[in-house]
Amino acid sequence: MIVIDKLCYQSKFRYVNASEKFVYAVLTLILCVISRSVLTAAVVFFVNVWLTVAKGGIPFARYGKLLLIPAAFLLVSTIALVVNLSRTPLDAFAFPLGEWYLTGSSASVREALRLCGKAFAAVTCLYFLSLTTVMTDILGVLKKLHIPGLVIELMMLIYRFIFLLMETASAIITSQNSRLGSRDYRTRLRSFGSMGSALLVRSIKRSGVLYDAMEARCYDGELKVLSEERPAEKKEILCIAGYEAVLLGMVIWSWIR
Amino acid sequence: MTKREKILLKAAIVFALLFAIAPTVNAMHIMEGYLPAAYCVAWGIVCLPFLVAGFISLKNKIKTNRRNLTLIAMSGAFIFVISSLKIPSVTGSCSHMTGTGLGAILFGPAAVSVLGIIVLIFQAVLLAHGGLTTLGANTFSMAVAGPLVAFGIYKLCGKLNVNRRVSVFLAAFLGDIFTYCVTSVQLALAYPSEVGGTAASAVKFLGVFAPTQLPLAVIEGILTVVIVIGLETYAVPELRNIGFLKGKEAE
Repeated sequence: MIVIDKLCYQSKFRYVNASEKFVYAVLTLILCVISRSVLTAAVVFFVNVWLTVAKGGIPFARYGKLLLIPAAFLLVSTIALVVNLSRTPLDAFAFPLGEWYLTGSSASVREALRLCGKAFAAVTCLYFLSLTTVMTDILGVLKKLHIPGLVIELMMLIYRFIFLLMETASAIITSQNSRLGSRDYRTRLRSFGSMGSALLVRSIKRSGVLYDAMEARCYDGELKVLSEERPAEKKEILCIAGYEAVLLGMVIWSWIR
Repeated sequence: MTKREKILLKAAIVFALLFAIAPTVNAMHIMEGYLPAAYCVAWGIVCLPFLVAGFISLKNKIKTNRRNLTLIAMSGAFIFVISSLKIPSVTGSCSHMTGTGLGAILFGPAAVSVLGIIVLIFQAVLLAHGGLTTLGANTFSMAVAGPLVAFGIYKLCGKLNVNRRVSVFLAAFLGDIFTYCVTSVQLALAYPSEVGGTAASAVKFLGVFAPTQLPLAVIEGILTVVIVIGLETYAVPELRNIGFLKGKEAE
């Protein structure tokens, strides 16, 4: 039902140590964001795409489609960055509008392009994490980072409930559609609203039933789940450390240059 | 037309096409990697007091009645699912609700701050909306600022004896608008304009996002009202359970 989640379970990196993948993704992400050079972004981008698609076995077409998700935001906000309304034309481009100009400087265009590159590289870091590490493994890592137990427990329950509710919601939507529930715009709005309220009612009822079930199984304020721990391989750790060191070097170089 | 103008025209056409097929209109999550590192950290710190307050309030709720744990988790999942479903939109592009306005009205702004950050993490990892580095900024605009305004307006309308449906609409609508304004200001602070500084930049960001965000806010307001009407008709005991209806109003 959730594409990324489904793909993630198919990844060949699924059973690699979760902390290792988490540390790799987050470190690369941080280095990518603080770096000032396009080169770093390009390296991060291609290494991540190679790792996720070629090594991890995620279909390339799917990956490309996923990369398009943030494109709308990127396009719109980049226009806002580049285009200015001013009385004097700037050097990159200028369209006259009466006495004013829609205009931009070449410095800002360069800046915007660099930002786009950086953002896409950062997105591939996020995708590496979400396409190789399943949510329950990520929660295990968060637990090791000493995130409060209540938050972890809530996240675990929410993750489980998301699928329950989505199933309910899609059943309701199917039955609404088969009863002409999306006939015209007005009806569609009403259908969505009544689906929402039915969903909330059912989820509240379900949460009660679920609590009863948990209590029947001796729940006393703490959820315990078994997690399988696979040790990280030395070779992989060395590779990651080397790669991050190279990236760090590039970042420092981009600062002092 | 000079050669350069021709190229520009072509670029504009390509851009317009791309824009027309742009896959999703989200509730304006700032994408991964779009904010400079300093701003990511700063917005995270700004969120902290709200998150701590929310955490303490949730903890107390669970202490008073352990049953609330599954209820709160269900509410979080509900916000996620509502925000991940396609809503009927006028233009035919696929757009999503934020759901946080509804959450704030039903469950209160304190609970929504913690649930909001969890939902945003799930949205980033499972749906690729938003990101991990921009989590702080997104949490502030969507899980703190928007819900607070929505809740404040809902309570204010309650005090002023405004019709409940109108007040629910206003709360969800203005909460959405406020989220969009805060996000624009966040982007403007990070990237001030060369001509006119931060203020001009904020106006530009508000301008470019207005065509998608304003209709979305209206639709969100309408849908929230329809959902609340449905709940009032069918789910009075449940609503009383989560503290939305107090004893007297329910009858």
